[in-house]
Amino acid sequence: MKIKLEKFGTTLITRELGSEAFKAFQPTFRELPNNEDLEIDFSGVLTLSPSWADEFLTPLLVQLGERLQLLPSDNLSVLATLKILQEANKREFKYSGSIPAI
Amino acid sequence: MDDKLLTIGQTAEKLGISIDTLRRWDESGKLVAIRKDGGTHRYYREKDLEVFSSDLFKFASEWANNGTEFPGTFYCQNSARFQGKLVKMEQELMRKPGFEKLYSLIVLISGEIGDNSFAHNLGNWPDTSGIFFGYDLQKQVIVLADRGLGILETLRRVRPNLPSHVAAVEVAFTEFISGRAPEKRGNGLKLVREVVSTQPIDLFFTTGDAEVRMQDSKKDFHVTRGEGGIRGCLAKIEF
Repeated sequence: MKIKLEKFGTTLITRELGSEAFKAFQPTFRELPNNEDLEIDFSGVLTLSPSWADEFLTPLLVQLGERLQLLPSDNLSVLATLKILQEANKREFKYSGSIPAI
Repeated sequence: MDDKLLTIGQTAEKLGISIDTLRRWDESGKLVAIRKDGGTHRYYREKDLEVFSSDLFKFASEWANNGTEFPGTFYCQNSARFQGKLVKMEQELMRKPGFEKLYSLIVLISGEIGDNSFAHNLGNWPDTSGIFFGYDLQKQVIVLADRGLGILETLRRVRPNLPSHVAAVEVAFTEFISGRAPEKRGNGLKLVREVVSTQPIDLFFTTGDAEVRMQDSKKDFHVTRGEGGIRGCLAKIEF
């Protein structure tokens, strides 16, 4: 299953809205078969902040582990946010490509 | 154009303040009105209003320090209003030559600093809720401020032994911790530090008597004790 984060907005900033987005995603998430990966597509996102992402991506990482796959992005805020979340969670995302230093 | 005169009503609407405030500011000399041919009606030059509104840092710092009123156009009472204004800034910034990629990091750090003010003070604002959020993309400056509890008081909820504002700001910018225990949160300011230290972005941040200046070539992070002392937080981002 692939989800486009753009569906939740293009400026993904606050913790409050990250949490709302995660709740809104639950019905779709429940349909994910146990043997299927969840791909996250960042295309179309203008700004992603660690506050928003910590409410959305962190719980998915905890629940899915390796089955959570992040698709490549060249957006600087996406890359910076993924890097800090990995440090905070002491756990790496499965990302197609490398997350460069900002 | 420069000499276009606005009535007091038009001026109040433009600045987002009341007519009474404009009358007070006229009497105190803060923003002096013009009177035509010795009349009693107050008028304002449009150009003068632009100059008056341009000193974002002065407005924010006076408000954070002593609650001085400022043009309501810079006021975000809630997180939704802040988000709306931030998206508007993002749209303008991404069209600015040279900022086609960097815009997202500038929006990110502005968003994190502003969101922190709301997240850490929700239900606990000492007097005025909400934040000051002003930007001037021509001068390439963004200013944010709040009259909240400040970093020391919010972090003491999880680190009761923090001795000073300086120590609290050190922790906020360098450790993964949050004032909103028991939630394991708080990575925004760490990323603000990393982004500012590697990108052509300057930051001045103050809360209590602690100050962070990451400017020009001095991008090493250290917190110093300043002379002033504000209760909430005040930040200036230049790029």
